[in-house]
Amino acid sequence: MSIDQIFILIAISAYITSTLALLIYLLSRERWARTIGIPFAFLGCITQFVELFVRWQTSHIWPLTNLYGSLSLFSAMSVAIFIVFALRYDLWFLGGFVLALAAGFLAYGLTWNEGYLPAVPALQSYWIKIHVPLVVSSYAAFMVAAVTSVMYLIKYYFEGVLDARLGRTGGLAAAAAGTAGSGSGDLGLRMQAGNPAAERVTISTLRDSPNIAIAAAHGDMLAQWLATLPSLAKLDVMTYRIVAIGLPLLTVGIITGAWWAKEAWGAYWQWDPKETAALFSWIIYAAYMHLHTRGAWRGLRSAYISVVGFASIMFCYLGVNIWISGLHSYKM
Amino acid sequence: MNAGSAAPELSLRAQIDEFVRDLANTFANILFAVSLFAVWGVLTLIGVIVDQNKDPSFYTANYAPVLARVVLRLHLDNMYHSPPYIGIIALILISLGVCTFKRVIPARLPPLRAVKIEHIPLNATLEVRGEERDVRERIARFFSDRGWQVRKRELGGVEWTFADKHNWARRGVLVAHAGFVIIAAGTTLYWWKGFSGTSAVLTGNTVTIPQTGTRVTLDRFHYRFDPIKTKSGIVYQPIDYVSNVRIVGRDGRERATTVRVNHPIDVGGTLYYQASFGHALNLTLTREGKAIRGVSTAPLMEGDAVPIPGTPETIQYERYVGTIDRKTGQPGPDPRANNPGVVLNFYEGDRLAGASLVRLGQSIDLGSGYRVRAAGSILYSGFEYRHDPGIPLVAIGAFVLLSGLCIAFYFLPARLYVRVDGEAPSWHVGIAATTVKGYDIFEEQFRALVEALERSERPPATAPVPQGQRAPSPIPG
Repeated sequence: MSIDQIFILIAISAYITSTLALLIYLLSRERWARTIGIPFAFLGCITQFVELFVRWQTSHIWPLTNLYGSLSLFSAMSVAIFIVFALRYDLWFLGGFVLALAAGFLAYGLTWNEGYLPAVPALQSYWIKIHVPLVVSSYAAFMVAAVTSVMYLIKYYFEGVLDARLGRTGGLAAAAAGTAGSGSGDLGLRMQAGNPAAERVTISTLRDSPNIAIAAAHGDMLAQWLATLPSLAKLDVMTYRIVAIGLPLLTVGIITGAWWAKEAWGAYWQWDPKETAALFSWIIYAAYMHLHTRGAWRGLRSAYISVVGFASIMFCYLGVNIWISGLHSYKM
Repeated sequence: MNAGSAAPELSLRAQIDEFVRDLANTFANILFAVSLFAVWGVLTLIGVIVDQNKDPSFYTANYAPVLARVVLRLHLDNMYHSPPYIGIIALILISLGVCTFKRVIPARLPPLRAVKIEHIPLNATLEVRGEERDVRERIARFFSDRGWQVRKRELGGVEWTFADKHNWARRGVLVAHAGFVIIAAGTTLYWWKGFSGTSAVLTGNTVTIPQTGTRVTLDRFHYRFDPIKTKSGIVYQPIDYVSNVRIVGRDGRERATTVRVNHPIDVGGTLYYQASFGHALNLTLTREGKAIRGVSTAPLMEGDAVPIPGTPETIQYERYVGTIDRKTGQPGPDPRANNPGVVLNFYEGDRLAGASLVRLGQSIDLGSGYRVRAAGSILYSGFEYRHDPGIPLVAIGAFVLLSGLCIAFYFLPARLYVRVDGEAPSWHVGIAATTVKGYDIFEEQFRALVEALERSERPPATAPVPQGQRAPSPIPG
């Protein structure tokens, strides 16, 4: 077993361990699960970057010239981007999904690993060290955004279940009566509890449907679990923030790709399937950002667009590489 | 002009004005723009899925008959240059332009006005002590120290403090739109003034580029394929394609240079790229051992065909085979020249009658005394040339677009409304926040800001309170 294979084995094992621990954390909010999951997520991510570096140094071949290398980076970058957001916004509860996908993509990438193949002439350019990492990082950001959106959709669905069970107005009435803290009417505002400055300061914030708090107070396990998740508004904002990282990366990726194409093929845009699929994905995320400026399109619709956007990214990344022949058919 | 005819004229003008206004409003609507994006996306996706720019026979051979008819009749085989595709891009550009002038540019800073603090979703109240003037000054200083632009106004007898941040970032969308327009201008410049083309040059031959008069002579073309052992077996990996050329530009000066993939050469503002290569075939057609008159002796490129005089038959040179397996007589995987041959197709009219793999230097009998011989091959190099005066504009546009996106995404224009009510020495400070991206996105910063303000207003700690005793509350009540 070569050194880079050992690293890959460590990375996949770390991801699987972290996935299980963070899934337990998502469901139970047990601190020990989080305490185990986070270091393993770091370990897997760092090991993957080390593996890519070792592979580069031992073979003297830039590791991102084939699908295996790029999937490996995709997997590592998705975990890295997730870790950054999780550290900043405490998103560890999403880790189980992100790390499971990262492990899955890494394992799938291994099926394309044919060993060390030197780059074909078209890929022998310094642009490969700029363009590919940028584009793959944007894909990774969109994956994390899609996971946040899926979590939004899950919470939205279960909130709907609770609302159907308790009735939308019942919750507010109960909230007004003090069952679940002081609600503030039509905007669903609530005074913040547990605020260190709560004695002197009142801050109104946007929070969950009151029904979650009511049902949770009555011992409903689903509601208790939903109450541990961030509000839908926060999940929506989180998706927006991650897409706001991915879209500029994709834009720079397309621009650098166009510049490279100008050097390699003579035209910065040739309507190659990969180019056009990337453009298609860019259009979806540009539409997402446009629509997010309108209040009516935030939330549920934005979450759907984010999921559709990631599907288009997967088509652009894997579908075009594997099924459609073109200038970007670099599988091996 | 009498009054009777003036009335309908005005009405018509009013109708036209209204129509233009409605049209402009539609084009400035974000949902309309996004709908155009959606149509653009679908058309683009069709172009990705449907093979582009193939011969009609390709579609009839490879697609279901109904699908092939749909592709050909709707011109989906050339999607990106089709009128609907160009039309949708034009509509998007119009929408972008109208939106820029109707929505983005007029979107100035909202006026300083009194608001109902508690009606704004992000709001907070805190109690502070001190003289009214001091309290107002402290609060204004708190925000200005943190980069907020503070302005005070007396509205309806009440003194308001307004604090704004990142107002300049409201122009991010305008910058991004401007980037698109510059890219479109650069692309248009290429259509207007630029040109491109391809040219295949046989080793030892010279071609003249029609648009520039540049003469390109190919002295030598060589390629390198390395056999690499992989898990699936030996792969012949292309490593290098190199053309050694002599070029005479408009200045009449000859220069020898090398063209490689990723390393184009610039001749008088026109770039020449290594695009392809191939093996031209010298084919000899004889009848009863004698050369046939009227048959071209020019080397054939892959796909070229020669008719057999006096018959409805043609011979097409399909492709070069680097290595013919000596055991099986079939094409081997090694593309390097080692027992090379060519695949020839034989047509009777439009019907493919057969195909044959012929070793170079050998001939085959076609019947009726005809023989065809693959006499030899010559390497040729395919160059792509392109003169694009719009590239600097496209590059600038891309930079501007990216800058606009970064401004729009990473800077959040926000406004705080601050009102101080009450009577000395205790004052209620009401703060509300609005942003251009709604409330949710600013919630955390707002909370942090209010808590920091509260901390700054907290009286300095006195002597430590012994355990078990309550600290006196700084706020009465």
